[in-house]
This record gives sequence, C-alpha cells and structure tokens, in this order.
Amino acid sequence: MLEFIGPALEHLFTLENFLWMNLGVFIGSVFAAVPGLTVILCVILFLPFTYKMTAIPGMMFLLGIYCAGGYGGSVSAILINTPGTPHAAATMMDGHPLSQKGRTKAALKIALYASTFGGVFSALMLLFLGPQVAEVAAQLGTAEYFMVCLFGLTIIAGVSGKSMIKGIIAACVGLLISCIGADPMTSYDRFTLGIPRLYLGLDLAICLIGLFALVEILAKAEKKPGPLILDAEKMHDNGKISKEEYKRLLRPTLLSSIIGVMVGIIPGTGASEASWFSYDRAKAMSKHKEEFGHGSVEGIAAAEAANNAVTGATLIPLLTMGIPGDGTVAIMLSALMINGLNPGLSLFTTQGDIMYAIMIGLIFVNLFMLLQGSFLTKLFAKVVSIPQEILTPIIVLFCFAGAYSVNKNYFDVGVALIFAIIAWLLRKLEMPAVPILLGMVLGNMTETNFRRALLISNGNPAIFVSSIYCIIFIVLTVLAVATLIRSKMKEAKAGIKK
Amino acid sequence: MREKESWMDRLDKKRDEIDEKLAKKEINLPIEFIAGIVFLVLGLVVLLIMPSQVPVSDTDVVNGRVFPKLLMVVMMIFSGVLLLKELYNVYVKKRPWTTKTVNLLIEVKALEILAILLLTYVICRVTDLFVIGAIFCCLGFLVYFRCRKKSYYAITLTAAVLIWAAFCFGLNVSF
Repeated sequence: MLEFIGPALEHLFTLENFLWMNLGVFIGSVFAAVPGLTVILCVILFLPFTYKMTAIPGMMFLLGIYCAGGYGGSVSAILINTPGTPHAAATMMDGHPLSQKGRTKAALKIALYASTFGGVFSALMLLFLGPQVAEVAAQLGTAEYFMVCLFGLTIIAGVSGKSMIKGIIAACVGLLISCIGADPMTSYDRFTLGIPRLYLGLDLAICLIGLFALVEILAKAEKKPGPLILDAEKMHDNGKISKEEYKRLLRPTLLSSIIGVMVGIIPGTGASEASWFSYDRAKAMSKHKEEFGHGSVEGIAAAEAANNAVTGATLIPLLTMGIPGDGTVAIMLSALMINGLNPGLSLFTTQGDIMYAIMIGLIFVNLFMLLQGSFLTKLFAKVVSIPQEILTPIIVLFCFAGAYSVNKNYFDVGVALIFAIIAWLLRKLEMPAVPILLGMVLGNMTETNFRRALLISNGNPAIFVSSIYCIIFIVLTVLAVATLIRSKMKEAKAGIKK
Repeated sequence: MREKESWMDRLDKKRDEIDEKLAKKEINLPIEFIAGIVFLVLGLVVLLIMPSQVPVSDTDVVNGRVFPKLLMVVMMIFSGVLLLKELYNVYVKKRPWTTKTVNLLIEVKALEILAILLLTYVICRVTDLFVIGAIFCCLGFLVYFRCRKKSYYAITLTAAVLIWAAFCFGLNVSF
C-alpha cells in the first residue's frame, strides 16, 4: 500500500483534478438540492463529459457529484420540507422543524458537518478495506463470483419497490437486456432482431438515459410546475451550535457513519436504507427521544452522516469485484472501464497509483464539499428556485446530446426514447427500475461466470455448492431473502390493519 | 405581439376545456394481475423466439441459450406466483384487486411530452442538425408549460445553443 501513496499523491495533486472535483461538488449539490432531480440523473447526464478525460479527473468529477449529492438533498429538506433526494427524507424529519424554530443555518451546518464526517470516514474505510477485500476477492472462482452476483441481485430485488417478486422479475428483465448482442463466450449474435447495430449490445449509458432521465421528463405530466421558493433570507440566524450540542452529536454521527459503511458495502443497498436505519438507531439510543421529529440535532446528524458514509463503502464491492454497491456507482463503472481499469485485485497492484489517487481523492472531495457548503449554501438555495419550464428542456437536451455522443449516432437516441417509454409503462405497473439497472450491469459477469463454472464442472450444477465461499453466499442470500420476506409481511399486515 | 398572445390564449382556453373533461376520467388498473400476465407472456415469447435469435453449435457444452432460458423460466415462475397470489387474495381471501388509479389527463399530458420528445428526435435525425431539434424542444416545452415570459424563451434558447456548443467544441461531437 505505502509504495503507491507517493505516486498516487503526485497524480492527484494537479490543478485539473481539483477543478473537476470542485465542479462535480458544485453540480452535485445543486442537482441534489432541486426536488425531482436526483444524483443518479446528474451522474447519467454528465457521464459523457468524462469519456474525454483520463481516469483520475473523470472519477474525481463523478465522485464530486456523488458525494455532494448526499449533502445537497438536505438543503431543500431543511428549507422547504421537501427532500431534494430520496435519502434526504430522514433529514427532513428534524431538519425542517429545527429550521422552523429559527435555526435554519444551524440545521444546515449540522447536516454539512455530519455529511463531511460520514464521507471522510467512508473514504478512509475504502482506503483501508478496499485492498483487503480485493485480496479475498482474488481467491474467488467462477462459481463463487456467480453466487456473489446472485446475492447482490437478490438484495436489490428485495429492497427496491414494495414487492420482492416484482423486483426479481425486474432483475430478470435487466439480465435479459444484457444478453442482447454478441455472446460473451462464442461471439454468436443474440436477440439482435436482424438489426446489425445491436450486435455490440446496448450501451449502458444510453439505456440509463431512457430508464432514469427521460422517464422523469414524462413524469412531469403528473406535477404542476409550481415555483419553488427557497427563501435564502430565511437563513438569518447566527448558526451557532452549542458545546453541549456538539457533544450530543458525536455518538450518533460516529455510529451512523459505521452503519452507513456497513450498509454501503452490501451490494444493491443504498443511502436511503442507511439514513432511515441510522435515524431509528439514533432515536432508540438518545437521551432526548422526545426531540425526534421536532428538530433534534441528533436526528439530522444521524441521517446525514449515514447517507454520506455510504459513498465510499459502495465503491468497495465495485472496485474489488465489479459489483456496484448502488445504482449511481454502477454508472461510474463505465467511466472506469473506458480507461482500461477493470475491477479486481490487479487494480490495486498493477494500477495501484491510479487507484490510490482516486481513493485519497475521495477524502478531498468531502473536504471541498465542506468548503463549498460553508460558503455557497445561500447560492444553492437560490439556484434551486430555477423554474421547471427552464429546467425541463435543458435536461432533455442533455439527455439527447449525451445519448448521441456515446456512438455519435441518432439510433442511440431512439434507443433511449424506447427505454423511456418502457420505464414509463413499468412505473404504471409499479415495477422498480433499479433492479433492471443492476441486472444490466451485472448481466455479463453473471452469465460468464455461470457458464464458465458449468464448463469446468462438465455441466454439473454441484459446483455452485462446492466451496466454503459458495456456501457462505448461499446462506447470506437465504438469510437476506428470509429477512426481507419477514419485513414485507410485517409491512403488509400493518397496511391491512390500517 | 398582441396577435401572438391571443393565439396562445385561444390554445390555452381549448386545453383547459379538454383538461377539465379528462381530469374527471379515471381508470382502475389491476396492476398485479396485468404485471403477472405481461411478464408471463414476455417470458413465453422470448423462449419461443430463442431458437431463431440465438444460434448455437452442437459442440458447445454450455451454449448461449442456457442463461437466457434459465432467466425466462425464473421470470415466468415469479410472474405466475404474482398472478396466483393476486387471484388467491381476490377469490379465496375475498380482498379487492390491487389496483392503481390512472388519470386520463395525466396520461394525455405524458403523451404530449412524448410527442415533443419524438418530434425533437425526428427533427434532429431528418435535418441532421441537433441545434434545430434543440430549438424546437425548448419552444415545445415552453408552450406545453404555458409559459408567457419572454425571458424564459430567451434563457432556454440560449441554453440550447450553449449545450450544442459544449458538446460540439468541448467533446468534438459534430451534430
């Protein structure tokens, strides 16, 4: 590890990298602060810009968006009681009440400090745990890799949406889409419907523009474009946090950061789960339970520390095994691979200088988030008041230009539109889209490892229970399914009683 | 300018009338039942077209059809479970169908947005000039949102040209 630190710092400390970091943090904060615009949408829209960059500035830009997105959502949650991103919903529970008590600046400050702490803690975990996990991952064979993919897909199918069955069906759809194009092992074309352009398969970025970005434009039909008035003048308090409050913040912030890291490492889960779980834990452990829901400083810190602590942790399975921790980092995988950086142990050995530069860079991204958050929050509050009438066509044009720029062809724009229509119809059936994304990302890896394992064993499926790692992942998958079914049944029972 | 305003007024008035009628029309869709059927049929169709769409060699031990076939079988099983669960709830437990209320006004508005997107795509493709499609897109959405502010038109059109320029000169995408 130490031998890479020197060259990594040399790669990292360039003006270009720091400019992209800051631009990413700024764009991420603004996007996340506007209700209806999500971090995943932002990463999709700006992904084409990284195609021309080398690995470090490209990843710094995307990580800037990703991390700042964790904090940005809290701005509108605190100011107008509307979470900018889904994972800021837990912050809203206490952020807005505290703001209503005339402590808006204090609420924003707590959210920012907790987010930064969670983010830096997570980045450090990535720096120290990443190489260790990569070494374990290097011992996994094809059958074990298949089981890891299955585990990730099962979790995401379970936690996305209301129904686990629908999640599994959606994951199957995603895996099927990944089968379109040349067979990864024989190169025969599959499901190309006689369209030669489909031989190379469907580009992930193009499909995602339709699935996550253009579908949001269609969803504008459901909302009236009312003006979002974020009154920056509301922030008239001095933002002072007392010594006693700082002391109260320590425990929930640290505990939530640990929870965030643990949740983030599990493939398929994300910031929303981490922030709600941490919020509940903080409430259960607090000496001031009665303040929760009425402007508790601990509540804000717990939710924000957790959702930012997820950011570095989600990169651990991504960089070590190629399995994304959540939907947003799944998109970042293309930015890595376009620069020839393939996840696995080799990334930490042969390309260790680049990898360590990215991991150390994540710490700086969080520090710049703290800096921008301290000085630019008023500006974020003003920017989020951009009317929908202006924002909507701009997003559409970014989507179209982004889809076109991947292969410089309008066929891809058509594909993005088709995916938008499919996503709209799936929404009507309440089918979750995230399992489709994970299915598309993991499709190639799942299939290749599944077929290779069967080839090795001459078609004997017993290979999937032949090693200790396989059995561990089977047990984990079964446990996860059982826990998810139990919680869904509880939810359903509670729903019926209501 | 006055003429343009009255044209927009007339258009808005007509849209209001249609919106008022559509807003009251709602359809309850039995979503679990529909989802079950749709994905069961999709799985079946994929399995049926697989021999023509996925060529295999006799020498392959594990050919290219194995994985998608397995996927479709899993998908069909879970679609069947979804369907049976719903039918069991309705006919045995006497619970109401799981439905989602679809408002016709929202669907028509979504179709209007889709029309703007499709027309933008067609214009870009036919003219091979992104900037023309971009201008249409901006105007289309501003009319859709019933926007009257001239400044909004100026801002979005400027943004359209800037996006084109950013991709054209920044990313070397010629369109």
